[in-house]
This record gives sequence, C-alpha cells and structure tokens, in this order.
Amino acid sequence: MWLYDKFFEAVKKFKQLFSGGPVSNSDVSGTLAAEFLLIVSFCLVALLIRHVNILLSGIVVLILAIILVVNMPLIPKFKSEQEDSLNKMIFYGILTLAIIIVFIYWGSAYV
Amino acid sequence: MSELWIPLMVVIPLICALFVSALSRFNKTIKVIALVVAIVIPIIPFLSNYGLHIFGGFLPMTDSITGMVYHPSIVYSFGVLQKIFIVILGILAFLVLLIYINKYKKASGPYIFLLFMGIAAVTALLLTDDIFNMFVFFEILALAQVGIVAASSLDNNYEMALKYMILGAIGSPMILLGVGFLLAITGSVNITDIVAAIRMGKVAITSPVFLMSCGLIFFGWLYASGLPPFHTIKSGMYSKAEPHASALLQAFTVISMVSIILIMFRIYSAVPIFEALLVVFSAIAMILGVTMALTQTDYRRMIGFLAVGELGFIGLGIGLGTQFAITAGLFQAVNEIIITASLFIGFGAIAYLSGETDTRKMGGLIGYYPKIAILVLISGLAMAGVPPLNGFQSKLMLVQASLSCGYPELSLLAIIVSIATFVVFVKAFYTMFLRPKPNTLKISNKKAPKSMVFAMVVFLIIIIVLGFFPGIVTTGISQFAGGLL
Repeated sequence: MWLYDKFFEAVKKFKQLFSGGPVSNSDVSGTLAAEFLLIVSFCLVALLIRHVNILLSGIVVLILAIILVVNMPLIPKFKSEQEDSLNKMIFYGILTLAIIIVFIYWGSAYV
Repeated sequence: MSELWIPLMVVIPLICALFVSALSRFNKTIKVIALVVAIVIPIIPFLSNYGLHIFGGFLPMTDSITGMVYHPSIVYSFGVLQKIFIVILGILAFLVLLIYINKYKKASGPYIFLLFMGIAAVTALLLTDDIFNMFVFFEILALAQVGIVAASSLDNNYEMALKYMILGAIGSPMILLGVGFLLAITGSVNITDIVAAIRMGKVAITSPVFLMSCGLIFFGWLYASGLPPFHTIKSGMYSKAEPHASALLQAFTVISMVSIILIMFRIYSAVPIFEALLVVFSAIAMILGVTMALTQTDYRRMIGFLAVGELGFIGLGIGLGTQFAITAGLFQAVNEIIITASLFIGFGAIAYLSGETDTRKMGGLIGYYPKIAILVLISGLAMAGVPPLNGFQSKLMLVQASLSCGYPELSLLAIIVSIATFVVFVKAFYTMFLRPKPNTLKISNKKAPKSMVFAMVVFLIIIIVLGFFPGIVTTGISQFAGGLL
C-alpha cells in the first residue's frame, strides 16, 4: 500500500500545477502519464551505462529508480526547473557546458 | 543546368529581403515580389547541377611538399540532401508567405525581410563548406528568429525574444571560440581541409585544443537546435510567434540542427565520446520535450515542446552513426518539418477562429470546424508515428537502426516516447474538439482562412505520399549518408 499512497499523494499535488483555471481529468491523467514516462525513460537511458560496465549499470538503474519513486511527484519539480526564468536557463546552460567539456576531455577513454 | 545556380539559392532570398525592406511603402509591390521569389526558391534546386561553387574563382591549391589540397575561398557544396531540404523549405516558405499576405491587408516590409533573411541563412548553412561562413549565417539566423518573434502581436513576445537573444550571447561565442581553436590547429576554416588534416594525422584527436573545440561547437549546436538545456526557450519562441511564423521557425531549427550536426559529424566522428554525447542529449530532449508537452494547457506551448522532443529523434539517428541510422534521422528531419508546420498552422487556425489557446476553456470545436479537425487529426497521428503516414516510416527506421546497432533500450525509448506523443495529441484533440463546448467559449462567425486550409492540404498530401513512398527521399538521403561515412 505504500506505493499506492505515494502515487495518490502525487496525484493530489498535481492540482497545484494548473493555476488559473479548472483542473480536468485529462490534465491530471496527462500529468500522471508524464510522471511515469519520466521514471521509465530515465531508467532506460541509465541502462546505456551497460556499454561501459554491466554491474555499474545495474547499480545506477536501481539507485535512480529508488530516488525517482521516493521523490514523487517529480513533475512539479521538473516543471518549476523548466519555467521561463532567464536565471534558470542561464544556470542550466552553464552547467551543461561544464558537463560537456568534462565528458569530452576525460570521457573519451571510457567509450 | 549549371553550378552557377548554387549561390543563387542564397543570393536570391537575400536580395529579395533587401528589396522588400527598401520598398516597404509599396504594399502590392512587396507582396508580388515576395510571392514570386517564394515560388522561385523551390524551383532553383531543380535547375542546378550537383557540385561545388567556389566563390571568387580561387581554385584549390596543392601543397607540393605535403600533397595536401587547400581551398583559399568559401566553397558551397550542393548535393541530393541539400536539394531535398531546400525544396521542402521553399514549399513551406511559399505557403507561409501566402498565409501572411492573405491574412494582412497591409504587409510589413521589415517582417518579410526577416522571413527571407532566415530562409537565406538556413540555405547557406546547408550549402556551406566553410565553418566560419557557417557561424556567420548561424548568427544571421538567430537574429532573424528574434526579429520574427518580436514582430508578432502575442503577449510577452518581446520578453521571450530578448531571452533568446541573451542565451544566444552565451551559445554563439562558444561556437566562434570553437571555430577559432580549429583554425589555430589546422590553419583552415574550410571543412574539407580540416577533415583532410585530421585524416592525415596532422591533428591529434586527443589534443586538448581539438577536444575543447568539439565541446564548444557542440554547446553552440545545442543552442541552435533547441536541445536541452535550451528546449524551454525554443518552445517558448514557437509559442510566442504567429502560427505561420512558428511553422517557419521550426523548419529553421530543424535545418540548422541538421546542417551543423553534419559538419560536426565530419570533423569529430573520430572522437569516441562525440556520438555517445549526441545520443544522450537526444534521448534527454525526447524525454523532456514530451514530458513537458503532457503537462501543458496552452496548445501552442504543447506543440512547441512536442517539436523539441521530435528533434531528439533526429539526433538519435545521426548519433547512432550507421548509414541506415543517419538516413532514418535525416528522413525524420524532413518529416518533422512538414508535420510540425501542419500542426502549427492547424492549431493557429483554431486560435484565430476561437480566440482561445487554453485547452481547459475549449471543447466541441469539431461541430464548428470539421475540416480543420480532420487535417489536424491526421497531422497529429503522423507526428505520433501512426501507420501508414510518414512519421511512422521514419520512426520505424529509427527503431530498427537502434536495434541493429545493439541499443534495444533506445528502441524501447523511441517507442515509449512515440506513445506519449500520441497521448499528448489525443488529450489535446479531445479537449479542443470532442468534449462538450463550455458555455464560456464564444465562437465567432469567421471562416477559416482558405490559405491556411490550402497549406494544410498540401502538407497532408506530402505526409501521405511520403508515408506510402518513403523511397522518394530516403534513396537520396541514403546515398548522402553513405558518402558521409
């Protein structure tokens, strides 16, 4: 029942996403679909690490799945990080540049 | 038939842009010039031979000691891939201008100037074999996009355009710095010369300067193509432009993405992590684009996010790096230009007729606008990859390509994202067209503009034809991909 309660709590929080108008079933089901899509697809992408190390990939997928499920609902957090705020856009832009440079400079040996 | 037509593909829209701007007081004249040039643009590629055009007549020079060939001037290269994209862009540009001219009695010269500058810039990006020339047109394109959004009549459009320009101030210098590093280590800005220098071992691919240039140009490419972390601003730009302009803006994005990534692929494919990064960023774009689209209530923003998510499919195909996968990725690019343009124009027609963009306040529109509903439905099904439409063919190719490359997880991801795209579309279609009309929604007596319906019918024909006969474009694209490898 823990997981069910977790999902139910997550669904109740979706209401806060839709400010300024009525919330319909289709909006909530769309957001719920987004929630599951996010969890499943990030775990699938993490499976790509098996091309580097199979054991590492298993551990990463397991930890990622636990982190994502425990932190439900994810969509309000993701949505607030992807709003039209210039500060956030610049922050993630610079962060991405740093990640790219790190991976290109030190990562080539592991691919 | 001659190679002299090659530069005219860029020069004609550029000159038209200048003329239209200069003659902006003469309403009928600029409308006629714009339409005539829009008709000419997709015809020129059929008049031209495949080949190279060397500007200034400076022929390549051979170094007698090393045997290397140098290109001292800007070179444009025209092949089958360029032909396909320029023809598609030309058809789209004609339809967009037709809608614009039909919608506004008084045409704006500066606005048409921006549209043609954008068309010239993406055409040059496709043709150029010079990396500095690529940067120049990349900048022109970014400014044209900002201008097009700033010229729209929607709320907060200036703010979004300004944000895009500020982010461009981070992305563009990175590309320029990367180009500078390449020039420093190879002594050339000609892409063929740079590739030759790498293949002959004159540049070490493990050199920090070379790797840094790869990282910087890759970052600039993310900005140009609207992949994460620039997916939010890109979808915002689409939602703040006029619908016909959004259709053209997304085509600019797809073509600039394809042009720059093909240049990067030629130069950096030897860097082992390059293709891995490409696949990872494309996968993240697919996930974030569709996830965000599922949570939107403004359908313009919804389509904006879907368009960004679809870009991930293109990157995925090119990142897998086989001939079949690259063909699938480029075919997906062709399809996305057509399908997304059709959706932007279809939803734009609904916004024009109902004056509403919030899906929560809409409903019952199928009874009022059945033709538009059917056209939008087919375009949406094509985007979701429903057979026998063109989106199905390219997505099936991508799934097959990732399976044959040994990445079944990517095939699964592509299928899941396609299903989620279908969910987004069904949700939007139901809330706008099928559920009972809310009492608060006022329906005007206006009819859908004929030019918009005509444009959607043209796109629908292309969607169905490419769905049944994908070989029309995949044969040429496959030849190009084979040459690339």
